[in-house]
Amino acid sequence: MATTELLSPYDAGASQRRASITGWLTRGGAALPIVALVLLLPKHSGDWTNDAIFAAIYAMVGLSMNVLVGYTGQISLGQQAFLGIGALTAANVVHSGTNTPDPFTFALGMVCAVAVSAGAAAVLGGIALRIRGLYLALVTLVFGAVTADAVFTIPSLNGNDAGVSAYRPSAIQTDFSYYVFALVMVGLCVYVDVWIRRTKVGRGLIALRDNELVAGAFGINVLGYKLLGFVLSGAMAGLAGGVFAFWSQEFSDKDFTAAAGFNKALIFVVMVVVGGLGNRAGVIAAAAFFALLDPIFSGIASGTGWLNFYTDHKAYISNIIGAVLLLQTVIFNPGGLGQVIRPFTRWFAGHPFSLHDEHGDAAAAALGGGSDVRA
Amino acid sequence: MHVVASAFSAETNLLTPLISGIANGSAYGLLGLGLVLLYKSNRIFNFAQGEFATIAAIVAYVFDRGTGWVPKVPYFLALLLGVLAAVGTAMLTERLVIRPLFNRARVVLVVATIGVALFLIGIEGMLPYPQTASLRTISDVLNVRSYVTRVDHVAILDQDLAKFLALAVLAIAAFVFFRYTATGTAILAVSQDATAARVVGISVERISLTTWAIAGLLGGVAGVLLAVPPSGSVTPGSITGLTLTVAFSAAVLGGMTSLPGAFVGGILIGLIEAFANADESFVPGLSSLPTAQAEVAVAVVLLVILLVRPRGLLGQEA
Amino acid sequence: MSVLEVRDLTIRFGGLTAVDGLSLQVNEWEIVGLMGPNGAGKTTAFNCITGFYKADEGHVLYRDRDVTVLPPHRKAALGIARTFQNVGMVKSETVLENLLTAQHTKTGYGPFKALTGASVVRQRERDLAAHADAILELLGLTEFRDWPLGSLSYGTLKLLELGCALATDPDLLLLDEPSSGMGPEESDELGERLLALRRELGVTMLLIEHHVPLVAAVCDYVYVLNFGKLLAQGDPDQVRRHPEVVAAYLGGEAPDALAEALDEETV
Repeated sequence: MATTELLSPYDAGASQRRASITGWLTRGGAALPIVALVLLLPKHSGDWTNDAIFAAIYAMVGLSMNVLVGYTGQISLGQQAFLGIGALTAANVVHSGTNTPDPFTFALGMVCAVAVSAGAAAVLGGIALRIRGLYLALVTLVFGAVTADAVFTIPSLNGNDAGVSAYRPSAIQTDFSYYVFALVMVGLCVYVDVWIRRTKVGRGLIALRDNELVAGAFGINVLGYKLLGFVLSGAMAGLAGGVFAFWSQEFSDKDFTAAAGFNKALIFVVMVVVGGLGNRAGVIAAAAFFALLDPIFSGIASGTGWLNFYTDHKAYISNIIGAVLLLQTVIFNPGGLGQVIRPFTRWFAGHPFSLHDEHGDAAAAALGGGSDVRA
Repeated sequence: MHVVASAFSAETNLLTPLISGIANGSAYGLLGLGLVLLYKSNRIFNFAQGEFATIAAIVAYVFDRGTGWVPKVPYFLALLLGVLAAVGTAMLTERLVIRPLFNRARVVLVVATIGVALFLIGIEGMLPYPQTASLRTISDVLNVRSYVTRVDHVAILDQDLAKFLALAVLAIAAFVFFRYTATGTAILAVSQDATAARVVGISVERISLTTWAIAGLLGGVAGVLLAVPPSGSVTPGSITGLTLTVAFSAAVLGGMTSLPGAFVGGILIGLIEAFANADESFVPGLSSLPTAQAEVAVAVVLLVILLVRPRGLLGQEA
Repeated sequence: MSVLEVRDLTIRFGGLTAVDGLSLQVNEWEIVGLMGPNGAGKTTAFNCITGFYKADEGHVLYRDRDVTVLPPHRKAALGIARTFQNVGMVKSETVLENLLTAQHTKTGYGPFKALTGASVVRQRERDLAAHADAILELLGLTEFRDWPLGSLSYGTLKLLELGCALATDPDLLLLDEPSSGMGPEESDELGERLLALRRELGVTMLLIEHHVPLVAAVCDYVYVLNFGKLLAQGDPDQVRRHPEVVAAYLGGEAPDALAEALDEETV
């Protein structure tokens, strides 16, 4: 090629070198403390287990937001509706009352949670085909609020206002065993996410996010894939909802209506932005962080004598932290947490450790003005 | 039409929902004006508009009551201070958050306003004042309890009249401002092409600040009028949670780019809500949550507008 | 055998008629040029042929099959590929990923199967990558395989865009000003490349082009548009001497001397 590339000293070789055997061993060793933390700390302390399950649930919601907002580039301010639909469906399908459900019914409940939530997401997706950008944001906001207030409060669905109990099957009844179950569900979502990224599904979604015209020229059915993005996102959030229902061992509409629901909606957006749009590891980390914000801070507060102040104001403190992180990310660091930990995630994947961000970061592109939304 | 038929039944009369619809609608319209202004000028949805209102309400409340760290001042001065607080907050938002993101995709700015809203709710929550209290109404202050108009045995509260009047005055003022003043035209110019505006000598930075200050003013006025009994309070996040979505719907109904549209849209949405609430058979079986009926009605209206006529009733562009 | 036939194509935007009764034909293995001053309606016609705009009147036939109303992705699946005036690629992805994305219709697996991570999916992904590498080699772009698009020069981007169009395994290639932004040397190279592509891959092409030497070197036939209407058509050498064509580009009546001067360009 006649032209010389003077623009950046890009080392393409770096991305092709994978680690040697010793390299992998080192990486395995470095991963051990993290694995230990994730697996063993909850076993050690009962309170932490409960919180850890909550973090796992949020991680799944984060992944679902990542698919919709990160990959497909659609904004969603009503994701809590899908979480709720999943919880509602699972609790009602299993419908075991005060008895322990058998594993088959439980599994059925979870599958239905995924299916119904995906179906609802398809409806929203259908609307999204006609309404774009900022107006779509508004529609998702309204969708979330209306679903919670109008559907979740139907007496036959919410146990006549008392909530629908959702006891765990005997195999996963203890907190720790349920935690392992939750981790497996997170793993399932991660698996699907990996295969989204590695195949034409992810490429199709990202292409249509960046430039619908080019996507069409490449043979991507833009309308179909947009719908697919919603369905995948809804499915993951529905799964998270199923896990949520059996975590709290009941479905209650109070978790999703009015202020509680709106708050969740905002946290979910903050989660995915702070995590870094399109960055799996970052989103999981950010989701876990926000889920554990309360336990971590009450721990610090009781240790330093601020416990009363913290308990009185805790909702607001997490608001402020979330807001500050969000604004900081959007203004200064569009790649989010994902970009910050990228050197580490790349290293764990087998590449040499390098601080140079070789990949035109999807998040930076998406947030930095890649696709201009016209309202 | 079913709704009208039942409105004429013995139990409900046509006037109650009409009056409450216009009253609430004025509130939505007030917030909607600020939303439309910022959409016209910045092409974004400002999710923090409700919090500008709440800040005004809280500041007004604190100065009206006079707590340990703040002197008690006359009611109307307290209202003024509240509105000024809202203006200040809006200007700070513009300087600290909007400026740095000026050239980014609009979605980014919307996400940023969500962050601002979250942040303001958090700050409000940390302030020491009784969070479930409400601001005093105008009629309370003027001690003119007998000045409640009665039409056909339906009480029209003073505060409602004040809301409606404020909306009407502000809507007309805004309309005139944009049509006939230099600053108004400058704001529109910057919204269409900041570079071209700069070329003709408009200071984009000053215009941006001015625009947000006006939005803060509109939000502040809405706040001090809304935070009163029976349904309003100075609780952090209350206006954002309860009213903002409806205000947006009102603005969309009017066409996000039309100030008179926000006025019309607000009243219309208020009426739709009121009549939906009055007629229990609108959505069968939906009685658990009192606002559910109205919410569904508004949601349907919003959806229909966006799908069929994205420009809204009076707007100029899709 | 006609690969592409456009009959009486008319496209209106409100009161403006952007394309007025355009008819053209591209036969197998031909390289046909579409010329005309800016605003003549060339890109509009392209957009309609490829399914991005709706035709108000007229038909588009691909190998005698009426494809007028097919959406862009269906046309791409049939083998009609295009490039864009400003470089049209997925900006947030790398060179390789763009080439993989462009093979969207050739993957051989459906989206739901993709999520299972089945071995056939993995195998197909390897095949796609191999095909992408082959294209990179054909165009001499192998060194840029993992680069993000932002680091590439304009000329490289244009070439890569051509590569993505080729990755869709096209039968008919529509190029929108492929030489824009290129100097004379690069543009000669492009001409060589297009001829080589026709030779080796048997692709039929329709180009929008302003650069007269390129058109002369590469095109078998040329159509000239002005104000949405067909002004002239025929052999490139004849067409560019056509006084009306010259007038359209330069404005007003063109003296013979100017037509001669145009001859000297290719010398």
